[in-house]
Parts: sequence; structure tokens; C-alpha cells
Amino acid sequence: MQPKVNILFIEDERNILAFVTKLLYGHNYKVTTAATGTEGLQLINSICPDLILLDLGLPDMDGQTIIRQVRDWSDCPIIVISARTNEREKVKALDLGADDYITRPFGSAELLARIRTSLRHSNRMNTSSDQLFRPYKCGDLVLDFEKRTLTICGEIVHLTPIEYKILVFLAQNCGKVMTYSSIINNVWGPYADDNNRILRVNMTNIRRKIETNPADPKYIFTEVGVGYRMSEEH
Amino acid sequence: MNKLLHNNTLFTLTLLGIATALAFLFFSFVSENTANIALLYIIAQILIARYTNGYLYGLFSSVFSVICINFFFTYPFFRLNFTLSGYPVTFIGMLIITLLTTATTSRLKKQTEILAKQEKQVQIARQESLRANLLRAVSHDLRTPLTSIIGTTSSLLSDGSILSDAEKKELLENIENDSSWLLNMVENLLSVTRINDTVTHQVNKTPEIVEEVVSEAVQRLKKRFPSASIVVHVPDDFLMIPMDAILIEQVLINLLENALIHSGSSHAPELTVTDHPDHVAFCVKDFGHGLNPDDIPDIFSGICHNTGSVDSHKGMGIGLSICKTIIDAHSGYIEAKNHTNGALFLFTLPKDEEENIPCSQK
Repeated sequence: MQPKVNILFIEDERNILAFVTKLLYGHNYKVTTAATGTEGLQLINSICPDLILLDLGLPDMDGQTIIRQVRDWSDCPIIVISARTNEREKVKALDLGADDYITRPFGSAELLARIRTSLRHSNRMNTSSDQLFRPYKCGDLVLDFEKRTLTICGEIVHLTPIEYKILVFLAQNCGKVMTYSSIINNVWGPYADDNNRILRVNMTNIRRKIETNPADPKYIFTEVGVGYRMSEEH
Repeated sequence: MNKLLHNNTLFTLTLLGIATALAFLFFSFVSENTANIALLYIIAQILIARYTNGYLYGLFSSVFSVICINFFFTYPFFRLNFTLSGYPVTFIGMLIITLLTTATTSRLKKQTEILAKQEKQVQIARQESLRANLLRAVSHDLRTPLTSIIGTTSSLLSDGSILSDAEKKELLENIENDSSWLLNMVENLLSVTRINDTVTHQVNKTPEIVEEVVSEAVQRLKKRFPSASIVVHVPDDFLMIPMDAILIEQVLINLLENALIHSGSSHAPELTVTDHPDHVAFCVKDFGHGLNPDDIPDIFSGICHNTGSVDSHKGMGIGLSICKTIIDAHSGYIEAKNHTNGALFLFTLPKDEEENIPCSQK
């Protein structure tokens, strides 16, 4: 039998703990739970989980502290759970090294999708296979990293070098939300102005080029106040 | 209080000083006519009575005037002599004028004060009653789905064995619907707490791209109503305006949800954004039975009296009153009306010229 993926769930609400644990068991994951931050940190050190689900509102410890401590020595994917209205908290968690977030309350399908995405990305990083060079495909859109072309329904879409760089970064991290600052760092370099206006102007232009209705997008979704998320391949 | 006293004294002395100076000037030209000098003092006294608080300053100025006139401007000069014929008449006359003026003005002041206080009390009372109404409406709206959830779960728990799978599924779906409705209501109420200052009703605005906010609102709504279709039109230009995006999304979601659920039509509602010189307008149009014209005047007040509605617990009252609060906090404008075949909600957000400078020019 294949060894199961081990997920550590740090959450203090018993009912949520119960429902998520049942859900994950049902989908063939192994789940370990911790009700406090201290317990969570101990478990992370002892069992080295494959993925951490972390509620940011813990009673004994700031969730940010846990992310910081884990990132000191581990690349283990972390998905944080946060309230929708708290954009700053989410951005901070992501910039500290969390892989993704999910807003409470979340549906089971959404949670499972986020877990799958994060696990796949962490596998990719570990194997660094030539998967990275396989074209990104989503619906009618194909982004070919080797030929450096973007086609929609087989038609080539002309992009500026900056637009191409942004798209590649988002496609390589498809399914995950990328914060404004992570995109800016990756595209313009670490010394870029942290004013995100230039990024957003570029995103608007990209949307004009790839989306049929920019207000009802199919490929790139905005998480207002946080960043952008490119649709999973399908 | 001390400052007020100080101001009053200063004012009184200055006016009396000016009157005395003018009187001297006048006296050096026409030395025979003391009546005009008395008039000068009377003017000073009326002004003092009008613009100071209390009787004291008026009384003092009238005594001072009488002495001054006697001392400086009547024979024998530079000596007090109250035995002059008719002098008591001048004295008493001035005193009475001062007293009357002071009495009238102070009563006037008191009345305006009382009026202002009453108005404030009325306003506070009105706010209180609005809040109480909203609270009542919220509690009512929350209680209905909660009752249904509790009832459904307890019947599932106790009679689970005798229910068919289809029945169970239906009951569970009801629970899901009710609780997701509840969640949206709570999100609505929570969003209001983002309007942090109850006095200034201001929000934290950051420049946001209109189509991004619109698209996120539509995505979130589609998550709740996967089968819903909404027609969205945004201008082709890059539109960035200052707003609290979470709040504006909430407004869009509330209006679109109304259009989807309450219009009584399966025709997809339309959301149209238009760009204007000093504002951006958002318009949500449905193609249903429209609004009851009697409801339109206080549709945003939070009190919904459409008792005829079948699903009255999903009343749109609170959602709309929250929309109004949010748009008001953005110094925008919101209205509801009927178009030829359905209801139309329109709100505007002002553009802030300062924030619209491209970053390259900064």
C-alpha cells in the first residue's frame, strides 16, 4: 500500500477540526491535529508533515510566528486559514512563506483543491523535473515556455516582455495566489519600487489580451488586496 | 469659562473706550449738545448688552456711561454733579434701556440654546430608533433561518431512520441554503464594522481597478449560486478609483443577489459600469416584476414592509441599508427605481483626482 500523505491541521475550533479531519480521511489523507500553536510546532518538528493547514487565529500563539519558525528549516507547504476581511493578515502570511490561503468559511471542494495544488507544487520543486518546461494549458489557452509563445485557440497573442514574464510566473504557480510583492520581485527584481500600480496596469493589459470579458475572467482571477491567482491547468 | 469672562470684559471696556473717545472728539467740535453724546453711549450699551453674557456688563456700562457723561461732558467739567436739573431722567433712562436690551438679548440667546439642544436630542432619538429598528430587523432575519436549521437537524437526528435518502438530501440542502444565507448576512454586518469611525463615517480607501473588484464580486456570487448567470459590462479603459474594495464588493454582491433572487425572473441580471468625468457609475438591472413604488422611498432604510412577499425572511431590507451605509461612507450616491421591465439599482463612486496621477509622474 502506498504511504499516505500526512497533513497536520492546527486549529482550535473542535467542530471544524472534526469536519476537516473526516473529510481528509475520506480522501485518503493521514491527518494529525493540534489545538494550539505550541503543540503544532512540536508536531511539525517530530513528524515532519507533508503539508500544514494552519488557522491564523490560535489562542496561544500568532500564526505568523509559526510560519516564520517553520520556514527557518523547512519548505513544507503551508496553507493558512483566515477570515475574508483580513487582507493584511493574508498578505503577511503569504509574504512570510505560506503557500496559499483559504478563507473561512470554506467548502470541502475548495479545501481539497487547495491541498492538491500545494502538494503538486511542492512535488515539482523537489523533483525539478522537466515538467516545468511542459506548456501550460488551460482551456483554449496554451503558454509554451520553450517557444515563448502564448496562443488562444491556436492564435498567437502578442505580449510585451514584461507581460510574458508575469504570465510565466503566474502559470508556473497556477492555482496558488501570488501576492503583488512576490510578482513584482520576480518580474522587476528585488529593487523594484513596491508601488503595485505598474503591475496592475500590466495585468489590465494582459486581461484585455487573453480574456473575452475582463470583468468575468476565465484564466486569471483577482484576489483584491492580496494578489492574483491563475487558473489550474485543465 | 475664564476665557469667556475675559472676552466679555475686554469687549465691554473696548466699546466704552471707543464711545468715550468719539464723545471727546464730538465734544471738542460741538460743546453744547450733550444729548448726542448720550446717544453714542446708548449705542455702545446696546451693543454690549447684545454681545456679552449676563446682566453684569450691561449694568456696569450703563453706570459707567452716566458717570462719564456727568464727569466729562456736563458743566461743571471734570467734576461729578448729580444735582443738575433733569439729570436723574438721563440716568434712569439709560439704565432702563440697558436693562431692557440685556433682558431681551439674553432671553433670545437662551431660547436658541434650548432649540439647539432639542434638535440634537431629536436627532439622537432618531438615530437610536433607526438602530433599534435595524437590530430588530436583523434579529428577525437571523432567527428565521436558525429556527429552520435547528428544526431540520433535530428531525434528521431523531427521525433519520424513517426518512428516505431523497428526503434527507432535501433537508440537508435546506440547511446548507439557510446557513449560507446566514453567513452572507453576517458578512454584511461585519463589513459595516470596517467603517471604523461612527462619527466621520469614513473608510480606508486604496486605489483599486474597477474590473478587478467587479470580477471578484461576480466570482464570489457564483460560488454561492453556481447556476447563476450575470451579464457584466465594464469600460475598456483602465479605471482605477479609490475605495474599500471589500465593502464595494459587498454592495455589488447584495445588489446582484437581490436581482437574482427577488426579481422573480430567470433572465440574467446586468451589471454595467460606466465612466464619467468625476465619478464611476455602477448599475444593476434585473428583468423581473420590479419594485413596489410604495417601497422605493425608504427602500434603503432597513425597514422592509413588503409583507406580501413569500420568502419574507430573506428580506432585502438589511442588505440594502448596508449598501447605503457603505456608499455614503464613500461619499457616493445610491438610488433605486424601476425601468421599463424590472428594477434598477444605481450607485456612484467619486474619482479622486489626486489619486489618479500615474506613478511615473510622482
